[in-house]
Amino acid sequence: MRQQFKINRLATTGLMGPMVDKHWEELRTAKERGEKVAWCSGVPFIFAYAMDMKCHFMAGYSAYCAGRKAAEQILEIAENTGELPDTCSYHRLHMGMAEAVKNGIPVKEDVILPIPDLMIAGRVCPEMSHYAEALYRKFGIEVVGIELMTPYQESDYSFLEPFVERQFKEVLIPKMEEVCGKPFNYDRMREILTVLKKVATIRNECLEYFKKVPSPWTLWDYGVSLAPVIYLMGKPETVPYYEKLKAELEDRAKNNISAISPEEKYRVFWDGWLPWGFLGQFARKITSYGANPISGRYPWEMFPRPDLIDPEGDPVRTFVKALYTGTMLGNNMAKPGLSLMDKIVPEYNIDGIIFFTAKSCRIWKGQMTMLNQMERRYGIPGITLEADMADGKMFSEAQIDTRLNAFFEVLEARKEKRRWI
Amino acid sequence: MEKVLSRFAAVSTDPYTALTTWKQDTGRKIIGCFPMRIPEEIIHASGMLPVVMWRGNEAVTLGHSYVHNFNCGLTRSFIDDVMKEKLNFMDGMIFYRSCLQAEEIPSTIELNAPPSHFLYLYLPPLYPGIPFRDFLIQELKRMKQRLEEWSGQEITNESLNNSIEIYNKNRSLLKRIYELRKKRPGTIKAREMLAIVHSSMLMDKEEHNSLLESLLPELEGRKELTGDKIRVVLSGGLCQTPHTAILDLIEETGMVVVDDDIYTGSRYFANDVTLGDNPLESLADRYMKKTPPDPTMGDWNTLWTDYMVDKVKENSAKGMVSLLIKYCPPHLCYYPDIRRRFDKEGIPEVLLEVEHEIVSLEQVRTRLQAFIEVIKGGA
Repeated sequence: MRQQFKINRLATTGLMGPMVDKHWEELRTAKERGEKVAWCSGVPFIFAYAMDMKCHFMAGYSAYCAGRKAAEQILEIAENTGELPDTCSYHRLHMGMAEAVKNGIPVKEDVILPIPDLMIAGRVCPEMSHYAEALYRKFGIEVVGIELMTPYQESDYSFLEPFVERQFKEVLIPKMEEVCGKPFNYDRMREILTVLKKVATIRNECLEYFKKVPSPWTLWDYGVSLAPVIYLMGKPETVPYYEKLKAELEDRAKNNISAISPEEKYRVFWDGWLPWGFLGQFARKITSYGANPISGRYPWEMFPRPDLIDPEGDPVRTFVKALYTGTMLGNNMAKPGLSLMDKIVPEYNIDGIIFFTAKSCRIWKGQMTMLNQMERRYGIPGITLEADMADGKMFSEAQIDTRLNAFFEVLEARKEKRRWI
Repeated sequence: MEKVLSRFAAVSTDPYTALTTWKQDTGRKIIGCFPMRIPEEIIHASGMLPVVMWRGNEAVTLGHSYVHNFNCGLTRSFIDDVMKEKLNFMDGMIFYRSCLQAEEIPSTIELNAPPSHFLYLYLPPLYPGIPFRDFLIQELKRMKQRLEEWSGQEITNESLNNSIEIYNKNRSLLKRIYELRKKRPGTIKAREMLAIVHSSMLMDKEEHNSLLESLLPELEGRKELTGDKIRVVLSGGLCQTPHTAILDLIEETGMVVVDDDIYTGSRYFANDVTLGDNPLESLADRYMKKTPPDPTMGDWNTLWTDYMVDKVKENSAKGMVSLLIKYCPPHLCYYPDIRRRFDKEGIPEVLLEVEHEIVSLEQVRTRLQAFIEVIKGGA
């Protein structure tokens, strides 16, 4: 009989659900209180927050929607109104949601979004702007476009940052002032950055615990804890959350408690999106092999360099620096991604890599090259799992089980070669 | 005439041989450009030959070790060609992003089989605001500087304006051929037209111009198609060539293509560059033109659907054939609007989803036959 494994759940992560629910509820009911609402792709939502607008964050909302098991229903609405099934599932989710709200089609209440006063198309990827363009054409919702090009390589940061800073200052801020009818609140932006810096600093201390063998927590735990370093940015309650999390990890580390019980057999790098709609499903599958995903490109892109954030200076400039020099926007490209893996694989004693590939999203570039390179450089095997972040129609469970089986057989066979025992 | 058309077809179907021969004959360098936005004139002015990257002529095999099979045909095929060392005659490659898949190619190539010269550009979308134009010009300057390094040749305003004139001439000659097809549908088959435009992306422009000049009067003498053919417009294929077999099928089933809105067609030569004292700025101005509308450019105000409907109406076409490249996100995201708009206008439109690999032509034939019935039913 195969050995049985389970995750030792952290107590602190249970506190995140209510915080996240509160955020989306405040957004859902914003219009009732006469507040302005924005929808935003990419990270410029901080500018809406600084103006006291309630603002959604495209990827965060899609993850929430998928996590609340509402994606299937909304994707169906989108497809019934003409969206094609190969289209980015986050795009379809937003088209379906707008259609539902505009036309009174019933959907799960806790994921309803109010139609925005402004859409901020932060073009981290072009698909992230297509939904805003499509909603403008369909419903006439106002759009402001910001090009947040992904840096191809580290040496490009120096000339990309001034362009992005200019866009924020000359395009986005004037538009925010026009929509809100008041001057941009730089002080509020500084306050938000102050909290973000603090939270991201403690978060980095928590990440250090992933290096411990066995690790006291899993990437699934960190995935649940991402909101404070992204769309819950600036909320004071995010600081005590991470303080509690750190204390719990410290305690586990001191007592040598592994996140995977009875033992952590394999340490895995998880590449690509976290499978938000199917997080529990994947966590159970991976855990059943005694494997712990402890790192990945996606979770590592949430303001990894808080030391670069200087809330006392020019808040726009420091924010842009955190995005580019701070490597927040580069990990999904192959070259910066490989640099990150070169650092993480040996430091975190990684046994193997699972490349999660979303069929409707190609944002995680270079996966096949990385798979080859990691094998060559470190003798670390990898597999690709083809699925999607939200659309259940895009994956076959049996195929994933077969691939995981084969992958862990390879890891088992290479156990002797493990660098970290 | 047939000799010139055969030459264009040969270059279009086998650019590998054509370019290798050209390179041997001239001793000059060849620079591959990712389709759609790169101003080829700057490369031309450096004395090198710009060629637009293409979808190859064989099934993807080795490439699938480097790129997921659910990427578009151009991405997979181009990477496949590079890995099979079929593109070793390219001395340099220039990339930018028009979509996420366009971001996949450059690093895959640079990390696995880098050419001698390599450049990744950041070409911005058409968003309102001064910073976008300024940044575009900055990037064009960076491109110019890099090309000067690669070629060892200074690009002066004079040489750049000279290249612009050559390119403008090519655009105007191609426009004349398109006008001829509009006036006398069927004079030029869709596959011939594709080869004429596609070969322009792959040949020395001066040579192409001279071939076009010899071709035009002869085409004018060609007999017009007779019979009851249904006039249609093609749209789609934003950055890659459609299968000629599908173009043939469109004509075999009783339609005639009178105009198109495809990249290896009218979109390639749509706008001239205005000659001026600052040619880089002139090139930037062409880049920033909003017509033909381009769903990869982020311009939400200029409706692509208006452009398509106008094209159908001004050509007295009975319908439009949409060629949607499988896994093309900009087209996928826009398509629901196209469908709705054509329904609203009462103009028949058919969607053909096309792949790099051999498609089921019989399935396409059935769809086209049903489309014709719809058109005839509404006539």
